[in-house]
Amino acid sequence: MSADDAKDTNEEPTHPYETEDSFHPLGAEWEENMRSELEDTEFDADLGMEMARDAQRLVAGELSEEEFYAEYHEDMEDEFDVDERPVFDDIDDVDLDKAEDESMFEALTDVDIENEDVSRREMMKKMGAGAAFLGYGAYATYDSQKEQEEVPQQVSGIRPAEEDGREHRWGMVIDLERCDGCLSCVTGCINENGTSTGANWMYVFTYDNHDTEQQNFLVRPCQHCSNAPCAKVCPVRARHVRSKDGLVLTDYEICIGCRYCQVACPYGVNYFQWGEPDVPMEELEHLDMRPEDVRSLDEDERHTKLSEANDHVYDDRGRWTDSRPPKGVMGKCTMCPSRQDEHTDNEKGTVACMDACDEAGMSAIHFGDLDDEESRPNTYLERRKEIEESPKEKNKKFEDPEEYEQPPAPHPKSQLSTFRLLEDLNTQPNITYIGNEPGPHASETPEERPVHYEALSNDWGVNVVAERKEHLDYGARANDDNTPGEEEGEA
Amino acid sequence: MATKDAEAKEPEPADIIRPILNTSMKWYAAIGILSAVALAWLAAFGFQLQEGLIVTNLADWGSGGGVTWGLYIGAFIWWVGIAHGGIILSAAVRLFGMTKYQPVARMAELLTLTALSMSGLYIVVHMGRPDRLVTSVVNAYPWTVQSSPLAWDVTVITLYFVMTATYIALTLRYDTYQLRDRLPDILDPLYRVVLIGYSEKEDEVIERMAWWLALGIIVMAPLLLHGGVIPWLFSLIPSMPGWDGAIQGPQFLSIALTSALAGLIVISYTTRIAYDWEHIFTDSVIRGLTNWLGIFSLMFVWLQLQQIINGLFAAHVRPEVVMTAKLSNTIYQMAMVTMFLALAYIFAQAVKPSVFSRHLSLVAALGVLVATLSEKILFVFEGLAYPEFGLYDQVPGHYSPSLVELSSVAGTVALCTLMYMVIMKLFPIIELHSVEDHDDDHDNEEVSA
Ligand code: SF4
Ligand code: SF4
Ligand code: SF4
Repeated sequence: MSADDAKDTNEEPTHPYETEDSFHPLGAEWEENMRSELEDTEFDADLGMEMARDAQRLVAGELSEEEFYAEYHEDMEDEFDVDERPVFDDIDDVDLDKAEDESMFEALTDVDIENEDVSRREMMKKMGAGAAFLGYGAYATYDSQKEQEEVPQQVSGIRPAEEDGREHRWGMVIDLERCDGCLSCVTGCINENGTSTGANWMYVFTYDNHDTEQQNFLVRPCQHCSNAPCAKVCPVRARHVRSKDGLVLTDYEICIGCRYCQVACPYGVNYFQWGEPDVPMEELEHLDMRPEDVRSLDEDERHTKLSEANDHVYDDRGRWTDSRPPKGVMGKCTMCPSRQDEHTDNEKGTVACMDACDEAGMSAIHFGDLDDEESRPNTYLERRKEIEESPKEKNKKFEDPEEYEQPPAPHPKSQLSTFRLLEDLNTQPNITYIGNEPGPHASETPEERPVHYEALSNDWGVNVVAERKEHLDYGARANDDNTPGEEEGEA
Repeated sequence: MATKDAEAKEPEPADIIRPILNTSMKWYAAIGILSAVALAWLAAFGFQLQEGLIVTNLADWGSGGGVTWGLYIGAFIWWVGIAHGGIILSAAVRLFGMTKYQPVARMAELLTLTALSMSGLYIVVHMGRPDRLVTSVVNAYPWTVQSSPLAWDVTVITLYFVMTATYIALTLRYDTYQLRDRLPDILDPLYRVVLIGYSEKEDEVIERMAWWLALGIIVMAPLLLHGGVIPWLFSLIPSMPGWDGAIQGPQFLSIALTSALAGLIVISYTTRIAYDWEHIFTDSVIRGLTNWLGIFSLMFVWLQLQQIINGLFAAHVRPEVVMTAKLSNTIYQMAMVTMFLALAYIFAQAVKPSVFSRHLSLVAALGVLVATLSEKILFVFEGLAYPEFGLYDQVPGHYSPSLVELSSVAGTVALCTLMYMVIMKLFPIIELHSVEDHDDDHDNEEVSA
C-alpha cells in the first residue's frame, strides 16, 4: 500500500463528497463493504474509494472526464507501477459518447492498450474488481435515482440533495455552556408555531451526569437529520426531507397519523396532535386559500401571495408544513420553513427559538446554513475553537493547577468538546452541541429546573407543561368516562 | 380409548353440511350477543373518530411521558399472528399429507381470512387520519415501498388476503359442486358464482394448484408476515433496544404458530359441541393439536428466555434497562406463568394420556391466547418506554389502555367470530375430501358422494 497516495487524497478537505455522509447511493454500509473488499486486495483502498466517489461525480456531470482522468493519472501510476502510461496518455481515444451509454469503466477499458505490456485484462485486475464494481454499481444506481426524481410533486425525497445541488443545509450549533435553562426558546417556539399544551417542539433538559455534581442543560429541537429515519419509515412520504435545504418536514395534508415517524426517531422530538389543536387555524397568520390552489399558482405568484399574507403555514412549494399540525397528524420542530422561504416578516436564516434566546441575552442557539462557512453557526464554532485553543483562556479553566499532578499539556488541536446526539445511529443530525455529552447514566432532574415549564406564558394563552401525558389523559377523561383523580397526584 | 364409540362413527358429507341446514336458537342468541358487543365497540370507535385519538391513553413518547403505539398495534400483531399461523398450519396439512388434521385445514384458512380482516381493521383504528389511508398510501406507494416497513406490511397483508381467499375459493368449488343438490336453494345465486366455469376435469388441476400454493406459503413463511415484515417493523428500529435484534423474526413466528394453534383448538372444541362433530374432531385430533401447541409454546418461551438472558448478562446499558423492566412487569410475569402452566399440562398429558381432557386443552388454549396478546402489547409498550435515548427516563411514563382501546379487543373478537359464524352458514368449513377419504384411522370403506 502506498502511504503517499493516501496522504494525497486526504489533502483535499474541501472535497464536497468527503465531508458528507456516504457518497454511495446504496449507503454507508455498502460503501464499507466495498472498502473492506478493496482492502483485501494489494491495492490502495483509499485510492479506489476516491476513484469510485469521483466516478459518481463524473456520471452526475459534476466532473468532466478530462478532470477525472487528470486527477488520477499520477495516482494510478504510483499505484500500479506502470512504467509507461499509455492508458491515460491515450485519453483522446476514449469514446466520450459511448461513455455516456456505458459505464465509465467499460469506456476506460476501450482505450487501446494492446501494444503495451499491460494487457487490458491485467489492467482490470489491477484496478481491482471491487473498485470496478463499486463504480459500476454507483453508475447504475445513479441512473435509477434520476428516475426517482421524476416523481409527482406531492411525493418528496428522504435525503437532502448533494451539496452542489442544494441551496443550503440548515442546522444549528448549540452552545450548552451558555445555556442557563431559562426556557426562552421554548416560549419563542410556541409563540411562533401555536403548538398545543405539552407539544414542546423545543425542549430543554435539566440533568445530572452521575459522576459530577454540576447541573447540565440539553437543548433539544428536532435534529433535522440528513439520514432521517423518520422520513425513511413514513408509509406515505408525508414526513420528508426538503432536498433544497435539508429541512425535515411533515406534509400535514398527507400524513395519515400512523406515528411510525415518532417511533423511528431516536430523539423523541415528535408530538402528535391527539385532539383538536389549542390554537385554531383562524388565529394562525396564513394565506386563506385551499392548499391545492396554493400549489397550482406559479412560483412567483405564490411567493407574492404568501408574502402579502405574511403566511406562516405554507412553505414555498405551497405545502402545508409549518406551524402546529391539525388533529390526527404529526408535528415537530420545523426549523421555521416560512422564514427560510422568506415570506414572513422575519429574516431568512433565523428561527424563533434562536431569536428568543438572543433576546434573553444568552445566545446559545446559532442557526444557519452549515454549508456556508461564513454562516453564524460555522463562524461561532470556529471562534469557540480558537478561544478554547488559546492557552490563556485554557488556564482559566483550571483555576488551581496544583490539583493536577501534571498540568494539562498544550494540545495542537482544539480541545473544545463538541458532540452530536446518538451519532452512532447514523442519523447524521444537523445539530452540533458544544459542551459535555450526557453520559449513559445521566438522568433528568425536573425538580432542579431553574424555570419550570408550567410557569411559562405565551402569546396564545396556551398552557405549557413539561409532561404532556397528564394533560392528554385529562382531555381523554373529560370526554371519556374514566375515573377522575387517579393521576392528579403528579405535577 | 374413551372415545372409541365416537371415533367408530364414520364422518359423512351430511355432517359437514349440518351447520348450513340447521340453525339453532343458540346460533341466533350467539349472533345477537356478538353483534351487541361489536356494535358497542363500533360506537366507541365512532367516538374516537369524532374526538381524535385523545380518547385513547396513548401519548407522545419522549418529553410527553407516554407511548405512542400501544394496544392497537399489539392487537394488530396478535391478529396477524393468528392469521399467519393459520395459513401455515393449513399449508402444512396439505403439503405433508397430514390427513388426520385435514378437517381443520379449511377452518385454519378461514381463520386466516377473518383474523387478517381484523388486523386490517386495527390499522384503520390506529390511524389519526383513516380517511386518507387509501389516497395517501396509493399516491406515494412506488417510493415508500422501497423504504417503509409499514408499506411492506400493507403490501404483504393484502397479498396474503388475496392468496388465502383464492386458496379457499379454489378448493370450495369441488365441494360446492358435489354437495350442491343438498345445499339450500336460497343460496343458489351464491353457489352459481362460486361455480362459474366449473368442470369436473379441473379437480386435479386445482389439487395441484393448491399444493403449489401451499408450498409457496411454507417457503415464504420465514419472510412474510410474522416471519418477516411484521417483526421488521420493530427490529429495524435501532433506537429502541427492546425491539432491536434479529431474534424478533423467530420470536414472532413462534408466537404466530402458538396463537393460531390455540385458536384452532378453541374453534374445533366449540364446533364439535355445536354440530355433534365428535367423530370428526375426535379427542385424538384435539390431543394432536394440543401437542403441537406444546411444541410451539416451548419455542415461544425459549426465545423469550434467549432475549432476556442476552439483555441481562453484561449487555449494553439500555438493553439491560428494558429487560429488567420487562421481567419485573406483573403482566409479563402473569403471561409467562400462564405459558408455563399450559406447558405443564401439555407435557403431562403427553407423558400420561389419562391426564388429557379436551376441556383442559381448551383452558390451556385460551390461556395461551391471552398470554400472547399480553406479551405483544407489552412488547410494543416497553420498546417505546425504554428508548436508547435514556434522558427521558425521569419523565413519569405510564400506559394502561383506555376503555375505548380495551373495547376494541372485545369488539374485534366478536366481529371475527361473527364473520366466522356467517361463513359457516354459507359453505362447508370442513373439506369434503376429508370426509370422503378419511382412511388414515379407519379402513377405507364407505365413500359416499
Ligand atoms: S430528530 Fe427525529 S424527527 Fe428530527 S429528523 Fe431526526 S429522526 Fe426525524
Ligand atoms: S405519522 Fe404521518 S408523517 Fe409520521 S410516519 Fe405516519 S404518515 Fe408519516
Ligand atoms: S427552529 Fe423553529 S420550530 Fe424548531 S424549535 Fe426553533 S422555533 Fe421551534
